[in-house]
Amino acid sequence: MIFLHYAMLFFGGVIVFYMLFVIVSYCTMFAIAMLDLRKRYRLDPSEYDDAHIDAFYSKPVSLLVPAYNEEIGVVDTVYSLLNLRYPQTEIIIINDGSTDRTLETVIKHFQMKPVNKIVRTNIPTKEVRQIYESEIYMNCILVDKVNGGKADALNVGINVSQYPYFCSIDGDSILDEKALLRVMKPIVLSDGEVIAAGGNIRIANGAKMQLGSIYDMQLPNNYLVIMQVIEYLRAFLMGRIALSKFNLVLIISGAFSVFSKKWAVEAGGYATNIIGEDMELVVNIHRLIKEKKAKKRIEFVPDPVCWTEAPHTLGVLRNQRRRWHQGMFESLWKHKKMTLNPRYGLIGLVSFPYFWLVECLGPIVELGGYIYIVIAFFLGQIYYEIAILLLLLFVIYGVIFSVASVLFEAWSMNTYPRKRDLIRMVLLALTEIFWYRPLTLLWRCEGLIRFLRKKSEWGNMKRVGIAEKEKSV
Amino acid sequence: MIELSLEFLLAMIALLLIVLSGFMLYIFYQRQREVSFNKSRDHYLKDYSLLWYDYFFNNEIFSVVLIPRGKPQVKAIEIIFSSYLKNISNEEMTRKMKDFSNLYLKQFYEKDLMSKRWSIRMNALYRIADLQLDELLDACRKLEDTNYSKEEFFQLLKIYSIFQPELFMQKIKVPNANYAESEYRRLFVLLEEDVFIQFFDDFTSWPASIQFAVIDTAGAKRNMKYIDKLEHLLMNDDDEIKIRALKGLFEIGVIENIDPYIPFVTSDLWEVRLMIGKIFKYVPLAYTFPYLKQLLQDENWWVRNQAAKTIAEDRDGIEKLQEFISYSTDAYALEMAQEIITRKQGSR
Repeated sequence: MIFLHYAMLFFGGVIVFYMLFVIVSYCTMFAIAMLDLRKRYRLDPSEYDDAHIDAFYSKPVSLLVPAYNEEIGVVDTVYSLLNLRYPQTEIIIINDGSTDRTLETVIKHFQMKPVNKIVRTNIPTKEVRQIYESEIYMNCILVDKVNGGKADALNVGINVSQYPYFCSIDGDSILDEKALLRVMKPIVLSDGEVIAAGGNIRIANGAKMQLGSIYDMQLPNNYLVIMQVIEYLRAFLMGRIALSKFNLVLIISGAFSVFSKKWAVEAGGYATNIIGEDMELVVNIHRLIKEKKAKKRIEFVPDPVCWTEAPHTLGVLRNQRRRWHQGMFESLWKHKKMTLNPRYGLIGLVSFPYFWLVECLGPIVELGGYIYIVIAFFLGQIYYEIAILLLLLFVIYGVIFSVASVLFEAWSMNTYPRKRDLIRMVLLALTEIFWYRPLTLLWRCEGLIRFLRKKSEWGNMKRVGIAEKEKSV
Repeated sequence: MIELSLEFLLAMIALLLIVLSGFMLYIFYQRQREVSFNKSRDHYLKDYSLLWYDYFFNNEIFSVVLIPRGKPQVKAIEIIFSSYLKNISNEEMTRKMKDFSNLYLKQFYEKDLMSKRWSIRMNALYRIADLQLDELLDACRKLEDTNYSKEEFFQLLKIYSIFQPELFMQKIKVPNANYAESEYRRLFVLLEEDVFIQFFDDFTSWPASIQFAVIDTAGAKRNMKYIDKLEHLLMNDDDEIKIRALKGLFEIGVIENIDPYIPFVTSDLWEVRLMIGKIFKYVPLAYTFPYLKQLLQDENWWVRNQAAKTIAEDRDGIEKLQEFISYSTDAYALEMAQEIITRKQGSR
């Protein structure tokens, strides 16, 4: 009984201190994001866009579209890329050994003709069968290759590309016409000091679209999707902006991000044996920057550039979260030597410990907190107070931060202009700690278990088709 | 202690919830204001867009109803003006816009320049440059006395470059104002020829980003007056300057004498050899073939590729490449020559 008493006190203490640590970290990041967005509040962005629409002021970009069994969506994706406002691009569609009619659809629709092109193998990949060029659109290339997964397809795209920057695009995303201009902005304005940049991803469910562009944002009716909208806003305000300010970003979304080809090639391109290939590339580039002692940065752009469809059923969401968490663990584990290693500067001393403590181990501690509260109420009076303390910390962590994010976003960016939508988001944020948070915690813990199990069966990892892969927030 | 903490936390949560509720009410109030602002702006756009068109292009007399009475109307006028400025180049229209802005918009932007908010000041600076509000030049200069940001100083430079080029030349030398190359290009591209050419005097005293932007802008302006200046830079010790100068000369596209370029065929830098391969496109193949043949056998893929493309662009190019294939033993050069021939023939 004494053992149980001390164990309860110990775990209670650990969880309370952990929660305080996370709350302070989030508060700091929120304050940094607030100051940054407040500065830009009501600044006319069209001035920059209009000035940089000329090739003379920008840098050419190769757009890589990996496609695996996407005969229905691939044509629309390419059209949305042709709609991008950017002076100099080439579109490279990589057919990753599709078993449906993706190849035939693209060939027919864009009048692709086989060409005899020599490809420099900067990154080793699976065999390229044939390269085609469109007869109707300049700089539109199709590469047909043997199936090797999304990362391998992207590596082929990098090899074939002729421009100094490349942008990876997920087939099922809707792009803003100014997406590329905005994401390239830090690269152009830093004279190449920024070598990779990712944009802000938003949820497309509920948006009204015309000709591939979004013209009206409305909050969807599905509560699960609304919670994800809130979660995206939170991640954006309490993480990305602040981390980017200090060059500490470890994740830029694979749905729409630009990389310097030179650096990506030197970092070995996309890793084919890992789930979170986007994060893996970013970490590899960070590593390279530090090892070469180069003055380079990876940035996150707060402007919304890309809309993506969020899972609207528990099953799909569970699968997605498990995968994200497993991917994050794999990447962090692979580079575990960077953790607290002064050789890697702030990335090793701040980013890695932050990701380990808050993003990776967070779910275990938090879930432990929930279990603690339940046990404490059974065990009796002396633990009530710790349990209530924990509960209040959860309220600050889950409810207050979410409501603050929703309101601050409404003030600074106004993505959902309707009063009704704002009230719905605030009300739903108040319920987060009771259902959505525990569910995602469980799924993330499942991701951890899968990571631990996967480690032993690494060699048997089955490749997943591109269409089944989700992008990280 | 825990009891105290609980009370403290409860009080904190209550306080935060009250603050957030207040913030939400403020957002609603602000949105309401925004709606009425937009309504007023759209009214102006609907009622007067046609009058503006007639005033600019049909020589109609200026109507006093067009004078803005508040911010929403100013916003509407900005929308009308910017859409014309982006799409139409017409001196008479620009003059009319400038006169109108100096007369009726000046007071609004002057006030905005004094704003505590950085974004409002920036927007005002954008408009002053776009609408050529030269009467606000003094107000802009006063901004220099404040704790201005790097972005504001850039806009000031742009404004000076339009209204007072001498002042611009003086201010651009401010040592701690360093901008990206693309930003300098934006400034240089609008400069009059006599001002721009001054950057070539004492060229080496400028920071690298200005040097590079000057060379690139000279190329983009495609003015033959800059050929001598760029050829002179080929003697520079800096490799990047050499490469950029070659690129600029390629952009201008006029090569009168190939002698200054021949030593670069054997340069240690593949980028230099690549640019030579490109530049030789402007010279008849009869003069350049021996050098291009050498470049076709270069160790670098890009150089070989460019040399083959340049040869193939000439009228007799394909024939020369086929001839080359018949006697050459260099496998890489042969592969490249073959690929370019196939592509060229395929595109015919």
